[in-house]
Amino acid sequence: MRTSVALVLSLGSKVGVAACAVATALYALGWSWAPEVALGGVLVLFATPLVRLAVVARGFLAERRPRVALAALAVLAALLAVAVRAALRAAL
Amino acid sequence: MTALLLALVGAAGGLFGALMGVGGGLIVVPALTQLFGVPFPQAVAVSLTVIIVNSAASSAAYVEKGITDVRVAVVLELATVGGALLGSLLAAHVPPAMLLGLFTLVAWYTAWTTWRRRGQSGEGQTAGEHEVRSWGAGVAVGVVAGAVSGLIGVGGGFLMVPAMSLLMGMPFKVAAATSNLMLSVTAATSAYVYVARGDLDLAVAAPTVVGVYLGARLGSTLLPRIPAVRLQGAFALVLAVIGSRMALQAWRLLR
Repeated sequence: MRTSVALVLSLGSKVGVAACAVATALYALGWSWAPEVALGGVLVLFATPLVRLAVVARGFLAERRPRVALAALAVLAALLAVAVRAALRAAL
Repeated sequence: MTALLLALVGAAGGLFGALMGVGGGLIVVPALTQLFGVPFPQAVAVSLTVIIVNSAASSAAYVEKGITDVRVAVVLELATVGGALLGSLLAAHVPPAMLLGLFTLVAWYTAWTTWRRRGQSGEGQTAGEHEVRSWGAGVAVGVVAGAVSGLIGVGGGFLMVPAMSLLMGMPFKVAAATSNLMLSVTAATSAYVYVARGDLDLAVAAPTVVGVYLGARLGSTLLPRIPAVRLQGAFALVLAVIGSRMALQAWRLLR
């Protein structure tokens, strides 16, 4: 599980940060796509904790530790609920 | 030029956060508001994003090396998320000056205790080699840390690291790494709300995020090489500064 969690964290942060680096260059050059690229990067970064929790829950289930897996799923559900509520408020 | 300066501020926050198990908001928020004139809500939104990056970038290395105790992180995350939701409900009913005053006392007391007991939590840096005790106390502090996060927009690491090292018996480096993993969840709970409200200035966030990533990577390389007693000493000083800053904020609100 440790390797999978580390991979998710590493990949999520690298992709998100790379997009932010590209966006920084685009802002400096005055290109109009810069905000969209930056938003893409930030969204990847924001999704990383959600994916990490899902991987942790799966890992603990595989290790036959259902109570810890359930705790990870509960945290994931709470975080998803907050994200969906915020998105709905923004849409309205 | 501004982008480079923002990246430098981010790098300082990332390095500091990765070594101490805190988010780095203590550096980023004042720097953005006072040096760059960014409005407070926007600075907090960037800070929360920074905490998520810092957590992911440094935790990737800590989890891989086995320094992070993922099981403890998951259980305490349940408490911090519950606390964060509770904090957002309480925010409208509790006077901010009272909260800040209370947290000042907690920060100063914890700084004193950490300083006095530095070196006692051991040099260990492998999760699972230690016996975790006082789960109830850890969960209770987790709820409070989450509530603080929901109320004043910080990661809560300044409460969780001492709780894990002083109350739950975890070595300081394991506590700092475990707190680092937890920070992303606590920060995300508030960050989603800030972003949905349109408070995140992407032109400020993008270069800061790049700097934080580089700082956090450097910090996660340095952590295993620095003696725990020095990290604890530095952490105690940082806590004293956080407490003093909160006291100043409370004083300004009362005037």
